[in-house]
Amino acid sequence: MTAINLAYALAAAVAACLPAIAFAQVRAKADVACRPTPTTLQYDCVITLTNSRTNEPLSDVTLTVGADMPSMPMMHNVRPVKAAPREEPGSYQARLMLEMHGDWMLQLNLSGPLRDRVVTIIRFEPGRATLAAEPEVPSSRKH
Amino acid sequence: MVDLVQNTIDGLMIGSSYGLLALGFTLIFGVMRRLNLSYGPSVMIGGYLGTVVYLQFGAGPLTVAAAVVVGAAVAGIYVERLCFAPMKAGAAIASMVSSFAIWMQLEQAAILVLPRHTYAFPPLATGAPLELGPFAIRSDHLVMLCSALGLAAAVQLVLYRTRFGLALRAIIGNPVAAHLVGVDVRMVMPLAFAGASAIGGVAGFLVLAVDQQITPMFGMWATLKGLIAMMIGGLGSVPGAVLGGLLLGVIEAQSQWYFGPQIRDLVAYFVLFAFLAIRPRGLVGSMSEASTQKA
Amino acid sequence: MDDYMIGVLSNIGIVSFVALSAYLLLLTGEISFGQQAFFAIGAYAAGIATALWGWPLALALAWGAVSGGGAAVLVGIPTLRLRGLYFSIATLAFAEMVRILFALFRYQVEIDGELVGPNGAEGFRSIRYIFDRNIDAVQFLLLIYSLLVAVLLGFFFLERSRTGVVFRMIGEDETLAGLQGISVARHKVLAAGIAGALAGVGGGLYAHLTTYVEPRIFDVMLGVHSLAYGLIGGLGTALGPLLGVLIDVGLLESIRPLAGYRMIIFGGIVALLLIVRPRGLLDERLVHRIGRLFVRSPPAKTDGRGKPA
Repeated sequence: MTAINLAYALAAAVAACLPAIAFAQVRAKADVACRPTPTTLQYDCVITLTNSRTNEPLSDVTLTVGADMPSMPMMHNVRPVKAAPREEPGSYQARLMLEMHGDWMLQLNLSGPLRDRVVTIIRFEPGRATLAAEPEVPSSRKH
Repeated sequence: MVDLVQNTIDGLMIGSSYGLLALGFTLIFGVMRRLNLSYGPSVMIGGYLGTVVYLQFGAGPLTVAAAVVVGAAVAGIYVERLCFAPMKAGAAIASMVSSFAIWMQLEQAAILVLPRHTYAFPPLATGAPLELGPFAIRSDHLVMLCSALGLAAAVQLVLYRTRFGLALRAIIGNPVAAHLVGVDVRMVMPLAFAGASAIGGVAGFLVLAVDQQITPMFGMWATLKGLIAMMIGGLGSVPGAVLGGLLLGVIEAQSQWYFGPQIRDLVAYFVLFAFLAIRPRGLVGSMSEASTQKA
Repeated sequence: MDDYMIGVLSNIGIVSFVALSAYLLLLTGEISFGQQAFFAIGAYAAGIATALWGWPLALALAWGAVSGGGAAVLVGIPTLRLRGLYFSIATLAFAEMVRILFALFRYQVEIDGELVGPNGAEGFRSIRYIFDRNIDAVQFLLLIYSLLVAVLLGFFFLERSRTGVVFRMIGEDETLAGLQGISVARHKVLAAGIAGALAGVGGGLYAHLTTYVEPRIFDVMLGVHSLAYGLIGGLGTALGPLLGVLIDVGLLESIRPLAGYRMIIFGGIVALLLIVRPRGLLDERLVHRIGRLFVRSPPAKTDGRGKPA
């Protein structure tokens, strides 16, 4: 048991010593809209990034989009896709290739001048992709 | 007061389907002494087959029901052959994990065939609800109740009036002794599995027809409801399964009415947990069923 | 190493915690479908600690472990006299209750002008600790694996200690163990607590890696998967569950072109594997045989008085 405690203490020390460089003051907010493409399970997503405090668009950010399913976390490994900037400031485009239909957590990873991650949940079905606002209640009787 | 009674009525109706789900579950458990995590998904395969029949051919409810039952039974036999038959006597968890793996398989197969999130399912019965004073009884609920009770009675008949039923009860009571007196255990097992899955298929059809939609969540939902009802009623007991289902239905209906769907599910699990902590044998189960399932 | 590999390895590391959590309980002969509840508790606890209370990560992870372990002990006690299937279903019921409770749990604090905190079914976002402190992906990966190595060392010593042997004894035959004078109840609760703490650490790491958790993530799927990893990889050693995780998450990669059929293939492989090896790949017998390779063989003959001939 002491071995475990010692090990945990060591790891804690390592974690606590990790460089604490200045805060990334900028926090991002994202709006995502996805459209299906003719290929099955392939979707084109337009992502608009804004500064969550000032509402200014965030341009010149390196944006990578990853995906995971909330119902089966960590068990899907969709290759992250680099988003290409579009003409409007703060607007990016990415083409996603998913493994199956359903609700996906899109992980928008910002790097470059600022580091952040925003997560949005989208429901992908054949022929459409919508913002999954509320996870649905399981199939049940409705009065 | 009116609400209370109305909810009880509604709860008993839906509870009859839960009872059927629990019935199939309990038959499998009684015969196999192992938990089949693919039970709900087998029923869902049946449901998806019925949906395909409905969408492709515009079939009527009876045909769809037949498709559901057949689909469920076939899926059940597949599960039995792969996860339960080849396992040696002591490998109970291996069977269970194997049935979990097949659960994933069946779910993905269903989603591949019908990728959308919901599909329409034919209704059970249309028509105005029956008015009984201040209470209303939906006609599709009534059909569901009658079908469920009818099937439960039929199962009871098979169990107690036929040779197959006798063999089944013998195996449920004591598999070794049953084998010794000449019951062909190898033949009875897959048939019992198919039968139990078929019963589940009927239950599934009734629920889906009342809901008028099917989603990929249905497999897990069916497993959980059947499991809860079975445990509340008592493992391995046929009347227990029906009672457990009815009780669960009423509890859910009341909880949903007063507190909403999330509390409804919370209460259902809490009741299950409470039963397990206080009275694991359920309402009518016997203590001998509280056996150890070793690795 | 590109971002993708780092992501996959991080996932493997975190899932291993839950897999080891289920494995520990399997050693004592109990099948738990509910370890995802402690994973959830750890995730929320650690997330709240850093995002709402401003704690450092190390403390938050410890808090996650304590919450997970504490909850496990709390649920272990009423379920003590349950055996086998009954225990398993009780764990399932508990885990689902925890999940629904998190869907109803709201605890939001205003920080820098925005509301941060768990918001019921909408989840808990903005667990931005590693971004605020510029900890990059590789550093976090190292953290995950250093903790994992520490845990594996812990298991190594556990398997060789009296406690570890007692756990396996209880797993083999509880009644017999009790008859030998072992306090079965105490050991079971201990195992439950450690397992809960393990899952809690995993949860804390997960929350910080993804910055967003919601109740849906912690459903039965996660629990049954973590159980399956131990049973596929083998129950003979703590490396078994890790092997299981590698096979699942690793196999995904090689079957990428058949991604839509992954579950079908994986499910089939697992079912067939379990027919041939019901206690997993690295089961006790194999581990024992491998262990014997490292033991010097005893002297072949003696002269009747115990001395080599």
